[in-house]
Amino acid sequence: MKDNGVVNDKHIDPILDRAAKRPNEVDSARLEAIADSIKASTRPVRALPPAWTLTLGTALVAAAVAIAGAARVGFLGFEKQSTLDRALIFSMLAIFVWLASTEFVSQMIPGSRHRVTPGALLAAAIAALLAMFALLFHDYHMTQFVSLGLACLSTGLLHAVPTALICWLVLRRGFAVNSVAAGLAAGTLGGLAGLAMLELHCTDFEVLHIMVWHCAVVLVSGALGALVGWALRFLPSRNA
Amino acid sequence: MAGYQAGDFAAATALINRVGPQLHRFFVAQSASRADADDLLQETWLRIHKVRHTYRPGEPALPWFYAIARHVRVDHYRKLVRTSAREQKLDDLPDIPASHVDEPGHAARLDELLAPLPESQREVIEMLKVAEMSLEEVARATSSTIGSVKQKVHRAYEKLRRTIAEAEAKKSRSGALL
Repeated sequence: MKDNGVVNDKHIDPILDRAAKRPNEVDSARLEAIADSIKASTRPVRALPPAWTLTLGTALVAAAVAIAGAARVGFLGFEKQSTLDRALIFSMLAIFVWLASTEFVSQMIPGSRHRVTPGALLAAAIAALLAMFALLFHDYHMTQFVSLGLACLSTGLLHAVPTALICWLVLRRGFAVNSVAAGLAAGTLGGLAGLAMLELHCTDFEVLHIMVWHCAVVLVSGALGALVGWALRFLPSRNA
Repeated sequence: MAGYQAGDFAAATALINRVGPQLHRFFVAQSASRADADDLLQETWLRIHKVRHTYRPGEPALPWFYAIARHVRVDHYRKLVRTSAREQKLDDLPDIPASHVDEPGHAARLDELLAPLPESQREVIEMLKVAEMSLEEVARATSSTIGSVKQKVHRAYEKLRRTIAEAEAKKSRSGALL
């Protein structure tokens, strides 16, 4: 089983294969008991709609909350932005909203394909947004940095939380096998909606204000989502 | 699976008979006792039954089953840890018994072979070798990416190589003494 004293993969495979082929008998009475336990409640169920429908639904919820929030207080930031600013900011936000929606839907359907983990998605979104804001805005003043910043953070979160909750409602028939990851994905999606609302409304174009307080909405919202997901683990007999 | 979703009890029974033993073995390989594995299997099927609407026709079914089984197992051990406040360090599990590894014609038990591996690597090898799932299916079942699965397999093989080599060396040393 060794070549020159070295065990390699071609030696391990047959060992594992032999071990895997050993039969594993399960008591047939046990299987019958399982079948009996579900017999009374075996009735037709409606399968979840296709993933793209759910992704579109959650992405539309995020867009609707951001636009409705900005419409209530005015699209002042959008009006002040240049065409290049608008094109770059909102296309990047659209991409990340779509990715976050896709990931959230994947988290709520067991056995789905995952192209990226929710943590990596959040990190990538934050990094890309910070880089874009640093490139687009060049006002380095810090006027009322904390007070205006906290106002933007709370406004953003006030839109992020309902977005995440509505999206969770859209996917309420799903089942999260990892509630922390699902919460993180939902929180990130909500945070992006909150950030989009701020980009439509906020007229403070100081680069540090945007980079710190606007981006913090995504980060805090994601963390809150993960925290809620973690807390759901302790609820008895919940499917998260 | 489509029959099960349509309320066909015969289809449900056929699924239980086909997938049940695989899932049972998955639990045994994750270092559960047979009694624990029996309980986990029962609990998994109840959960599968409850969320059977989340399976989408046309998608691979095994990753869906294993994703739920994995969730039930993790949930079960979390509860155990919470109640007993006693955690077993997975890396400290016993080494592969040397006599089982290399005897010609003797197949070691998979759970014994995989015992030295961390849980995350063990489940990936189990899914690939016993359930004969593809890398993509394992990635789906473990809610991770294909790259992450490949990395776990690589690390598992590395550890198995080391363990088997050590077991062989130990055996040849004891043979020389005799």
